[in-house]
Amino acid sequence: MLKIEHLTKQYGDIKAVDDLSLHIRPGEIYGFIGHNGAGKTTTLKCISGILTFESGEIFINGRSVKAEPLQCKKDLAYIPDNPDIYEFMSGIKYLNFIADIFGISESERQEKIRRYGDMFELTKDLAQPVSSYSHGMKQKLAIISAWMHSPRLIIMDEPFVGLDPKASHLLKEMMRESCNEGNAIFFSTHVLEVAEKLCDKIAIIKQGKLIKSGTMEEVKGDDSLEEVFLELEAE
Amino acid sequence: MLKLLIKKQLAEVFRNYFYNPKKNEMRSKGSVIAWFVFFVLIMVGMLGGMFTFLAVTLCKPLSLEGIDWLYFTIMSGLAIVFGAFGSVFNTFSGLYLSKDNDLLLSLPIPIKYIIISRLMNVYLLGTMYSATVMLPTLIVYWVIAGITLSSVICGLLLFITVTAIVMILSCVLGWVVAKISQKIKTKSFITVAASLAFIAAYYFVYFKAQTLIRNLIANAQIYGDKIKGSAYWLYLFGRMGEGSFGATAIFVCASAVLLAIVWFVLTRSFLSIATSSGKVEKIKYVEKSVKEKSSFGALLGKEFAKFTSSPNYMLNCGLGVLFIPVFGVLMLIKGRELLPILNDVFAQKAGSVCVLVCAMLCAISSMNDMAAPSVSLEGKNLWIAKVLPIEPKTVLYSKLSMHLILTMIPMIFSIICAAIVLEASSVDKLLICAIALLFVLFSSAGNLAVGLKMPNLTWTNELVPIKQSGAVLIAMFGSWAIVAVFAGLYLLIGYKIGSTPFLGIWAALLAAGSALLLRWLKTKGSRTFAEL
Repeated sequence: MLKIEHLTKQYGDIKAVDDLSLHIRPGEIYGFIGHNGAGKTTTLKCISGILTFESGEIFINGRSVKAEPLQCKKDLAYIPDNPDIYEFMSGIKYLNFIADIFGISESERQEKIRRYGDMFELTKDLAQPVSSYSHGMKQKLAIISAWMHSPRLIIMDEPFVGLDPKASHLLKEMMRESCNEGNAIFFSTHVLEVAEKLCDKIAIIKQGKLIKSGTMEEVKGDDSLEEVFLELEAE
Repeated sequence: MLKLLIKKQLAEVFRNYFYNPKKNEMRSKGSVIAWFVFFVLIMVGMLGGMFTFLAVTLCKPLSLEGIDWLYFTIMSGLAIVFGAFGSVFNTFSGLYLSKDNDLLLSLPIPIKYIIISRLMNVYLLGTMYSATVMLPTLIVYWVIAGITLSSVICGLLLFITVTAIVMILSCVLGWVVAKISQKIKTKSFITVAASLAFIAAYYFVYFKAQTLIRNLIANAQIYGDKIKGSAYWLYLFGRMGEGSFGATAIFVCASAVLLAIVWFVLTRSFLSIATSSGKVEKIKYVEKSVKEKSSFGALLGKEFAKFTSSPNYMLNCGLGVLFIPVFGVLMLIKGRELLPILNDVFAQKAGSVCVLVCAMLCAISSMNDMAAPSVSLEGKNLWIAKVLPIEPKTVLYSKLSMHLILTMIPMIFSIICAAIVLEASSVDKLLICAIALLFVLFSSAGNLAVGLKMPNLTWTNELVPIKQSGAVLIAMFGSWAIVAVFAGLYLLIGYKIGSTPFLGIWAALLAAGSALLLRWLKTKGSRTFAEL
């Protein structure tokens, strides 16, 4: 589903991501952990087409994000670490805007808005301007908009920040459900317990380099993910 | 701490003068100087020149009548209105709506420091506007009436007093706007309506100015006596410029007291206004059928939603929407009187009226420059446009289309009005129509290109990209410069080849220029947007 080959992204002389390779298969929830500034967000932004990169390749469903960006983006959904959504729109207008961009039919979009809106208890606020939303509400709106077009690959940067426990639980269920349907999820998190419980595979990045990746068992063995992470960070 | 806050505030205002967003690095010293010289030249050249002319017209006759104070009263009054007009909305959004208010309020910073740093921005803007009136006023007076130590000291104090009054008025009006904003629900349109009423009054005075000045000069003594009798404080105010230490002391003290009162009110109310979310009408969501749109339609709708949600955007970049048809109506009403006069004035240069009418249409269309800040206005939302499956050129075309729709439609109305009253050949009328429409296309594509080359995506107050960015400055004055060259060239040499070939050449030039700009937007411009 997602294949990253020797990805390198530089900001001036600084290599934010250095020769990173990773392969995420359909049905996998792949966690991405690393300390602040390790290169997680930069990697996720390169996959999503927000940032261009100097060398390497990223393939989504076998298509290069450099050569066929639009086709890749059609299969993809991205949720940023900070849900900066058009504040001049109402929640419903934003969702309809996203639905229009992805060419979602009226009946399909209404069904999804109803389903996810009710799930996240956001339906009653959908007519309100986004500017009046709390951080958590914006995050919920970003999640609903990401799920609108049934993406094959979902990229999320710290998706649980700002969500209440119920919404966090719902999101985890949605992630598992989506992967059970053959889609894939790649997300960054600092909450190692969540990563440990939720992810099928995990990748650890340090100073732009991938230092460990694989199934949860391969990465942590009998230790806890926290112990392994701290150990690797100390090296 | 205060110094740090002021530095941050000024750094934001002048960011594009010091920082090159394209290269992601600070500009060289030479480049910074060049930017400031360019800015000063525009302010001094355009606005300063206009007010120097007015000062010269008024100073001599009033000085000869011995009522120099009236000259200062009029010019200082003008400076106050001009300064307050330029900075009132800046006060409201700069003081209360800055996105970093929450951050600064959470830090251990005294509120008064936050207010001072915000007001420094308001003060500088107000001073900049009032200086374009006051500096010519003082210099012209010193040259015409002679320079004395008292007139210099009191004149400079008058200037400072004017800037203080501008600040007081801006703060009071900004505070009133903020208070009203807390109470009303449809803020955008009410703010725009109120501003338009203000602008209408401003332009009414502006267009009546010549008659008023002529009348004033002819009856200066009578008016002087009347003002002195019924509004003695206005007389005292003008006396400051003449060099009266007594009047100066009174007004400096009065301004200081007023400033202190305003400061008291602002500091007492700042926290409640800045942290208030205002009255938001609770709208219950009711599911209803929606019309599916294409990607382009959705993006265009988004651009219009952004435009209509922001009074700042509408007022600073979209006044042409109103003024272009107003110009057409004025042509219908006054055109038959005005155009024959112009014909007589330029009788030696046949076809001048055609070219001048065309130039006026183009100039008035330049009041719309919404495409210029549209890229910067994406700000922190830019990720949405980049992550969605839409080509960068579609995003750019949606921005361009909004500009074109909002300018072309009123322009077509205005062209029809002009064509009705203009006595010219059908070919000339067609060429005027073509040039006016091509100019709209050229300037909108040019505005967008400049906005793409000079983006500012890290603003904390939307006024920065809308009002204080180099892109908007270049877009607006660049368009005016092209119109000036167009009209000037004809009056200088173009009339020798006649209006039809001249208009034909310009139509071809604008068509070629527009095609090049559109091609650039489609290719390099799209790449630039993708790399932002």
